Parts: sequence; structure tokens; C-alpha cells
Amino acid sequence: MSRRWIERGFTVFAFAAAGILMAVTMVLTGYLVMKGWNSLGLELVFGTTRPMDALCLRRPVLDGLFPAVAGTFALVALSVSIALPLGIGTGIFMSEFASGALKRMFSLFYDILAGSPSIVVGLFGFSISIFLHRYVSGQLYPCLLISALSLAFLVLPYLIRSTQTALENLPPEVRLTALALGASPVQNLFYVLIPRSLPGILSGVVLSIGRCAEDTAVIMLTGVAASAGLPRSVFGNYEALPFHIYTVSSQYMDSAELATGYGASILLFGVTSSLFLFSFIIKNIATARTAVSGPGL
Amino acid sequence: MKPFFFISAVISACVSVCIVLFMIILGLPLFREGLFFSMLTSPWNPSNGVFGLYPMIIGTLGISSLALVFGFPLSLGTAALISGLAPKPLAAVLRKTVQAMTGIPTVVYGFIGVFLLVPLIRNLAGEGSGMCILSSALLLSVLISPTMILTFSDTFDQVPVKTRMAATALGATPVQTFLWVVLPASKKGLVTGLILGMGRAMGDTLIALMISGNAIAVPDSLFSPARTLTAHIALVIASDFDSPEFKTLFACGLVLYGFTALSTLAVRAIDTVFRSES
Amino acid sequence: MKTTTLKNMALAFILILLIPTGLMAGSLDSFKGEKGSLKISGGTAHIPVMKDAAKRIMAVNPDIQISIAGGGSGVGITQVGEGLVDIGNSGRKPKDEEIAKYGLSMVEWAIDGVGVAVNPANPVGSLTKAQITDIFSGKITHWNQVGGVDKAINVYTRDEASGTREVFGEKALNKGPITTKAVVVASNGAMKSSVATDPYAIGYVSVGHMDKSVKAVSMDGVAPTVDTVKSRKYPIARGLYSNTKGTPKGLAKKFLDYLMSAEGQSLAESHGFIPVK
Repeated sequence: MSRRWIERGFTVFAFAAAGILMAVTMVLTGYLVMKGWNSLGLELVFGTTRPMDALCLRRPVLDGLFPAVAGTFALVALSVSIALPLGIGTGIFMSEFASGALKRMFSLFYDILAGSPSIVVGLFGFSISIFLHRYVSGQLYPCLLISALSLAFLVLPYLIRSTQTALENLPPEVRLTALALGASPVQNLFYVLIPRSLPGILSGVVLSIGRCAEDTAVIMLTGVAASAGLPRSVFGNYEALPFHIYTVSSQYMDSAELATGYGASILLFGVTSSLFLFSFIIKNIATARTAVSGPGL
Repeated sequence: MKPFFFISAVISACVSVCIVLFMIILGLPLFREGLFFSMLTSPWNPSNGVFGLYPMIIGTLGISSLALVFGFPLSLGTAALISGLAPKPLAAVLRKTVQAMTGIPTVVYGFIGVFLLVPLIRNLAGEGSGMCILSSALLLSVLISPTMILTFSDTFDQVPVKTRMAATALGATPVQTFLWVVLPASKKGLVTGLILGMGRAMGDTLIALMISGNAIAVPDSLFSPARTLTAHIALVIASDFDSPEFKTLFACGLVLYGFTALSTLAVRAIDTVFRSES
Repeated sequence: MKTTTLKNMALAFILILLIPTGLMAGSLDSFKGEKGSLKISGGTAHIPVMKDAAKRIMAVNPDIQISIAGGGSGVGITQVGEGLVDIGNSGRKPKDEEIAKYGLSMVEWAIDGVGVAVNPANPVGSLTKAQITDIFSGKITHWNQVGGVDKAINVYTRDEASGTREVFGEKALNKGPITTKAVVVASNGAMKSSVATDPYAIGYVSVGHMDKSVKAVSMDGVAPTVDTVKSRKYPIARGLYSNTKGTPKGLAKKFLDYLMSAEGQSLAESHGFIPVK
């Protein structure tokens, strides 16, 4: 009797929980879209400058999000290109070569890195740049490169983990066939293992791109500025979408500026949510593939 | 090729070690003067030369545990629906939505919070500015739920299909299977998810910075403003490099790092304990 | 008599028309052919003027990159002192030990006041200095104690790096304490928007940042406005400084010269500050 009530109660509870969560998400995103919809458009990004002029760098955009969008783009490109070889290399090492105590120790380090709050990573980047400024060159200070480097550290664990998992989940048949046919381990790695685990690795890359694009805490300590124009050099300051949203939220001057905050939020939200969803989809494809090919071969 | 992979692995490991080393070295003066531990229990009052972190530690723990109190039931219920209780199409839609939710930037949550939640809480409470522990805990609970839901539902899905089938064959309804078969077998995943959620809540900067009010008093009610360790780093970063304020940042960083490293170790310990049990 | 006045007026009118355009071209002209980047950080009261100046300069010469960050006066002074930025702004005069430590050179390009602000919906529009001290220290906790509604007062303050906080604490609160329960915001802009949205808020903000979204509160019967600050009737005033390490050079010098030019000064005036020239 009481069990039956617990069961009924739990069903109601589960539906209520999911209902509340979905409703809250709907309200949050709905509010954002409703408030920001009208500000969306080319003008949000390019202001009064003609888009072609801005894209060809013929004219600076002084009243649009273009510098922030370009800054975020540069930041993502730079940090992912720093993190990519390192993360994938480490992932390959962990799955193919490491074993025993070394593997356990390394994976503990990566887990701790994965758990480090982004502001701590930002503080690390900031102290590095102060250190460099004092002891290496007075020309170095918090800048695009330092931000990119810190963000690379932040996303490194995602890349390592997704690469490692993708490789480790390959069925043994796949691993052994090429070797049996006389391929060297390196050939096997590059022509068989990596291509076969590409979807899994890719999902980690996409996830990292999303993380780099949305992170605010790291960059606010390492060189982002409220106003900086287009990024010119990796040693200079830059603007970024998430930081723009943060500053607008607290110190908008007028309703027009506030509208750019809503617009920027929708833009960033749209980009990162689709990236994250995309990453999950690739991962599903990857797991489905290994699951099917396993017994089939 | 192997040396290249080995070197990348070493560099990646070094990054993790360097972060904590840097913080210890830069915070070293505090340890040397024996200030570190007294800082953990004293208030923040720079004009009187007191640089304690007690209010921020309480703020961090208060906000993140409250976020868990709100977030855990929501996540458990939703995860239960996704892994078994709900009809397949609904479960699929839910799972996709939750996955997309992981991508909502925290700064966007903060932005919406400032303009939607803060005024709401202010009117509801009838006192205070609306920038308070409750506001940020509510928003954080939405932020950390996807992480917990996906961990929970992964664990639920790992309960062997055979066991489930056996239960179903014996005439158990999906709810019965879930409550009496799947849930008891998923203790480990539940704890892991909770710790991950707690870590995410403690590590978040923007929501706390934007809507918890950042007051330096120890909070005494749900409607009091409070400052977290993360927000404190973001607010004080700016001071003089030789000043004691600046050094306390590294103490802040260390405490935060300690919290997160502890939770990482806890997750791993749980893993080993449960593995040896089964 | 009458004709001379008319003549003078006409002359003055022509001069007014001529001088700014002449100077405008002149002051922005100096950036022609320049290249490179200029980093500015610090005082948040300065930001609107800095942004406008940067926009105008970058519109004339896209080869110049000017980056502007906030952080507060303390940040501006230490960052310029450490060589992390080219110009560090402060909403207070750098202290003697700061000037000595870093070898700062200062340019004071405008005068600004710091006024108490409340929400426009708040009936309270005037407070005594003693009441203000008590509200910020947390002794007075409800609006009805000072003639307002029966609601708790939400005190807003700035972080320790803020020059606005330092000036306000010194000249309005006589260095008295600010309640630890006060909500802390990070810039003048944030203070204004917080007070504008919270009906029971009280805060202090740069007079240049005051607009109709907040209500300026008179202190001892004197309202904080550009005029009262100018005439020194309103006592909480401060200079807006832009500091460099050593004598300004290159782009930094040109930028500071621009701020002190007629166009720069009228820019400051248009943002609610009192020009120094």
C-alpha cells in the first residue's frame, strides 16, 4: 500500500521536476528572445558601417558588436589551436602508451585541472602575465595571447578526455586488423585508430570551442577591455561578446546600449547552445558506430 | 611519435601542477607570516588592515549548497523521466533540451537574472535589493542541473538491461523498476553527480558576481547579499601588486582550488570504493 | 553703445563658430599618420569621455587602437605605475606616496562632483550630512526615519579600488564606516543603473553620470548639480585625473593634449563634467 503511494508520488514528482525545469528554461530564454528580438539584425553587429566595409577592414565599426564578435572569434581560434595538438597528443598518450601508476597520476592531474574553476585559471594567467611583465619584458601584459593560453588550459581536459575515451572505446578487432596485416603501430594509429575515433575527438573539439566562446571569468582577468576596437595583435587588448554582456548588464548608459546586451546574449546563447548540442550529436553518432561495428566485424 | 605524445602529456600535467604551485608561491608570504589560517576565520576590512576571507567562504558554501538543495530534486526527477519513466519520444526531447541547456553561457544566465529574477525576488521578499543568496542559488540551480541530470541518467542507463528486463518480466511497471531496481543500484552515480554539481556551483563566477550583491558581511538570511570567493577574485584583482589585498587573492584561489581538488578526489574515491564493492 | 554690443556679440558669435571648428580639425589632426596602440584603464567616471574621445580618434585614424578598461581609480594608478597601461585614470588625486613610488605625472582635465542618488520613485529628496553618514554606516535603516516610506534602506557602495568611494567617504562621511551589508557594485555606471532599478536604494555616483533615471539628493539643502559643484556650493567635488608614468610621450601625450583641447573640454562638458579651461 505504502509502496504504491511512493511510486505514484515519485511519478508525480518526476513530472513536476522536469516540468519546472523546462518551464524555467522556457521563461528564461523566452524573456531573452522577447526582449532582444528587435535588436537582432545586421545593424547590431555592424552599426552604421556597411557590412562589406567592416569585413574588409576598410572602415572601423564604432557602434556595433563587430569588434566583440571578431575578438571572440580570434580568441576561440587561437586558444583551440593551442589546446588542440596538446590535448589530442595527451589523449593519444593516455590511451595508447600510458599504463600503471603513471597513467593514474596523470589522469588525476587532468581531473583536477578539469575541476578547476575558470576564475582560478584566469588568476593563473594573470599572474603569469605579471611575472612575464616584471621579469621578461616590459612590453608584455595581459593580452589576447595570455587569454587564449589560459582558455587553452581550461579546455585541455575536455580534449584529453574525449580523445582518450574515443580511442579506448574502439573495439579490439579494429585495433588488431591492420597490425595483423603488417602495419606498424604508428601507421595503425594514424590510418586506422585516429580516423575511426574522429567523431569522438571532434565532439570534444566542438565542446571546447563552445567553452572558449562563453567563458567570461578567465578573460576578465587576462586582457579583455570594455572598448578596444578590432584585435590587431596577439599582444594587445581586445573585446569579447561575453564580457560585453557582462559590462552592459551593470552599466548600460541608455536603452540602446541595453538592447545590444540582449542582442549579444541571444547571439552568444545561439552559438554556444548549438555547438554543445552538435557536440552531443557527434558523440552519439560515434558511440552508435562503435556499438554497431563491434559485434559486426 | 611516442615522445611527442609523452611530451604533450607531461605539459598538460605540468599545467595542472603549475596552477597550484603559482598560487602557493604567490601566497607564500601569507603562509610565512602565519596569516593564512587566521584569514580563513576573520572578516574582510581592508581599511583596518584585516584581510580575512571568512565571509566569502561562507558565501560560497551557502550559495552552492542552496543551489544543490534546489537543483538536486529537479535533476533527479528529470533524469528519472529521461531514463525510463517517460515515453521514448518525450525522453528524447527532454534529453536534447538538457544537452542544449549545458550550452547556455553563465554570463547570459547572469544577464537574464539581473533584469528578470532580481526585481522578482525584491518584490517577493518585500525587503532588500533582490541581489541576494536566494537569487543566485536559484539561478545556479538551473545552471548546474544539466550536469547533474546527464550524470544521473548515464548512471541509470548503465544498470544492466538484463536486470531491468527481469524486473519488467516479473510485471514491474517502469516506476517500480526505476524505484526498486535502478535507483538502489545507482548510489555511486548520484553522489558523483552531486559532487560535480557542487563543484560547478562553487566554481561559477559570473552569476554570483552579477546577482548576489557582493556585500562583505557574513550573510544571515536568504535575502542577504553575499560575496563568493570567485566574485571576490574578480572584484579585487585590480589592486596594487604589492598590497596585502593582492596576496589574499592567491589565498582565495588556493581555497577554491582546495575545494575543487577535494571534490575531484572524492569522486575518484567513491569510484574505487564502489568498484571494490561490486 | 548699442552698436558696439551688437558688434561684439556678432564678433563673439563668429569666434564661437570659428574656434571650435578650427581647433577640432587641429586637435584631431595631430593623430594623422600615427600608428600603434594606447591602453587606458582605471577610473570608471572617466569612461564615457574616454570612449567618445577614442571613437573620434579611431574614426579619423583607424591605424590607432585605443583600449579602455575600468577597474576603479586604485587600479588605474597601480596599473599605470606597473607599466601595464599607458594612461591610468583616477577620480581622486593620486596620493603623494603613489606619485613618489611610481613617478606619476598627472593631468587634471575636468572637475566632477559625487552626489547621493536615490530611485526617482523615492519621496526623499533631501538629507542632512548627519543623516547621510548614519544611513551609510547602517545606523538609520528605514526610509521612514528620514521622511520616506516604511521600507528598509538598501545601501549600495563601491569596491575599495574606487576613487568615488574614497572621495565620498572622506568628504561626505568624514571617513566614517560604510555598512558591510551594503551591496557592492564595480563602477559608476553600475551604481547608476542599480539605483535606477531598486526603489529603496541609496548610493553615491559621479555628478557627470547623474541623469533622470536616478534622483539626486540634496545634502544640507544643496543639490549636487554641475552648477553647484562649479560654484563650490556643493562640497563633494574632485578632479578627474589621467596619469602617466613619467612625462607623457607619444600617443599618450597626444591623447592627453586632445582632452585638454577645446574639443576635448567640450566633450567633458557634454558628459556633465566641469571643464578646467
